Amino acid sequence: MNGWRTLFPNAWYIAVREYRGRVSSRSFVLGTVLLAAIAFAATQLPVLLDFVGGTSQTRVEILVKASGVPSDAPKVVDGVLNGAPAAGSNSHKAFALSWLAGGDLASAQSALEQGKFDALLVIDRDPTSRDLVFTLRTDMPSDGRQTQQIAGATQMLAIEDGLVRAGTSTASVLAPTNLQVLPVSSSGTATVHSVSQEISSTLLSTGLIVLIFMAIITYGTWVAMSVAEEKGSRVMELMLNATTPLQMLAGKVIGNGGAGLTQYGIILGAVVGGLGAQGPIHQAVLGSSSTDVPFGGLNAAVLGAFAVLFVLGFLLYSLLYAALGSLISRQEDVQSATSPLMMLIMIGYFLSIFGIQAINETWVKLFSFIPFFSPYLMLARVSVGHVEIWEFALAVVFLLVAIAIALVAAARIYSAGVLLYGQRTGLRQILRAARVSR
Amino acid sequence: MSLVIDSISKEFGTVKALDNVSLEVEPGEVFGLLGANGAGKTTAMRIVLDILRPDSGTIAWNGESNRDLPRDTWGYLPEERGLYAKMKVREQLVFFAKLHGVRPKDAEREAGDWLERFRISDYADRRAEQLSKGNQQKVQFIAAILHDPDVLLMDEPFSGLDPVNVALLKEAFLEMRDRGKTLVFSTHQMETVEELCESIAILDRGRVVVGGSVRDVRRSTGRQVVRLAVQGDSEIPWLATLDGVRVTRRGQDYTEAVVTGGHDPEAVLRAALERDCRVLHFEITDPSLEEIFIEHVGQLDTSERTLAPKAVHA
Repeated sequence: MNGWRTLFPNAWYIAVREYRGRVSSRSFVLGTVLLAAIAFAATQLPVLLDFVGGTSQTRVEILVKASGVPSDAPKVVDGVLNGAPAAGSNSHKAFALSWLAGGDLASAQSALEQGKFDALLVIDRDPTSRDLVFTLRTDMPSDGRQTQQIAGATQMLAIEDGLVRAGTSTASVLAPTNLQVLPVSSSGTATVHSVSQEISSTLLSTGLIVLIFMAIITYGTWVAMSVAEEKGSRVMELMLNATTPLQMLAGKVIGNGGAGLTQYGIILGAVVGGLGAQGPIHQAVLGSSSTDVPFGGLNAAVLGAFAVLFVLGFLLYSLLYAALGSLISRQEDVQSATSPLMMLIMIGYFLSIFGIQAINETWVKLFSFIPFFSPYLMLARVSVGHVEIWEFALAVVFLLVAIAIALVAAARIYSAGVLLYGQRTGLRQILRAARVSR
Repeated sequence: MSLVIDSISKEFGTVKALDNVSLEVEPGEVFGLLGANGAGKTTAMRIVLDILRPDSGTIAWNGESNRDLPRDTWGYLPEERGLYAKMKVREQLVFFAKLHGVRPKDAEREAGDWLERFRISDYADRRAEQLSKGNQQKVQFIAAILHDPDVLLMDEPFSGLDPVNVALLKEAFLEMRDRGKTLVFSTHQMETVEELCESIAILDRGRVVVGGSVRDVRRSTGRQVVRLAVQGDSEIPWLATLDGVRVTRRGQDYTEAVVTGGHDPEAVLRAALERDCRVLHFEITDPSLEEIFIEHVGQLDTSERTLAPKAVHA
């Protein structure tokens, strides 16, 4: 058939035209800049939180009047109030503590009244019970967070003191037992997951699925829009004389997909750049560096699977978008015409979001081979669960077959649809037109 | 060596767009396709281009089926003009030429030449949407011919153009013919057909009602037309009393009458001389295409029965 002659170079010319037109459009430029800015800003959120949190520091002076207070008391109190000290870190502390061993209550009291401190903690010892007693002078609310935290610290200090007097210490009483955790499988390759690993790989998996989901909807709609636009402006007849429907389809999918990838690349670049800049910015704003980049669970296998499924999933769906776009005459109708496809995409998305929580269920495995759902569910399985190579390969083969079928069907619908003008095109007209078209 | 349209039929639902249409266009000829709106002209062109498939019948150019011919055989100016609104004119022309296999460099040069000829080279780097409709139409014409096709199919090429641009386009038509191209175009403007076309076909509701060389078509009625003007009498009342003569037009310049077959038109002149009239003007001619068109199709029907509604140009 004449319509199935060589795909290139015409498909390539069309792709280049589509790409240029899309990338130079105002909506693309504005959208990309805006999204990149949002992405960059989002990566700076931890810095912002630290900055906002960092301005409020509770200053506490601690006057030790009691004798025999355990020598590691400052360490215990600091540990409770400011958390475990990170190695080599000078990160921001919620509490500034100054210890006045054997100091003078009157001068401490006047420093408090002058506003140099927010609270004065006096540590004394009950002469009869020999237990430590604490007094806190402050205008902070008695049931406030800071007061509660200080109460917790005194609790720890009292326990430590009691244990020391009994001839032992918290460290030796609370020393953890040595429990060894082994995987179910005794073979060498199996490893044990930690909770944090599981959480981070679930998060990563969800993130990647959202990326595919957004790309298919956004850039697939672009394809449909561009087909409808050509029909609306009647360039279509000129194109039909110069090219074949297959060339047009391929060009549009490649061109718009390329523009989409460009936008994604720029946004991801902003994210990576933002994460990289987090340290320096933190340093510049707060005078200290912190934050560890949360990339847990990301490895070459997951990235590779993501790339393959992203491209194939986009191809499959955008071909259908093009076919649906060819059935309408105006760009305004794109939304309603593509809503069935939207439903399909949403179903796949929600299946995968539920599927992550039940990654070893049979239905998840089953759906991860079905072309319209495999881009999501196979990705979820790769990043969260465990997938054999042949399983992944099988899903890819099914996807490729589906793409080939979609290509033929879309080209037929397309060549029939592009000359049909009118408000609505029923399924029967499409089928009849597709049967007789070239 | 000709374009042969053989027994084409095409139905859209219950509408018979084309009913057993056969035409032959000689190579190097300018061929006019006439018909009221909805007569099937656009459908016929789309079928020749293999954009639509007929229900039955075949199309051949130089003996080769249109399904096997390369796409660059054809140059097409669709009735519904359309360009990429946001794309620059020159870029657009080069794009279409490249799709037809023209080397970008050649396309660039040719496009420049034609833009110059049509006096729109100032607009080469403007976006199409910034051009007037007439100028867009000229760009569209260039897009149709830039790849040097053998056969040009033009749907209403002159509609919407001012007289200056009509003249420019006619000139281009004749040049294409001189280059050995075959031109087929549809139009409502009968004077243009009489001026440019060697052959025509008149379509009515999907059927060819008359076709052939313009001269043969005009003679096909067997009637002749006389135009007579005499001094001092603009009415010429006796003319209608002559045998086989029917007055069709009375004007200050001359009176026109049809002489039916079998009667000698020169009898009108003799009758005038017998009545001692001073004859200022006497002419014997064939009926105009417009008369023949109206005779076959009825009045110029302006109601739309085309496949596609008019485009809303964004």
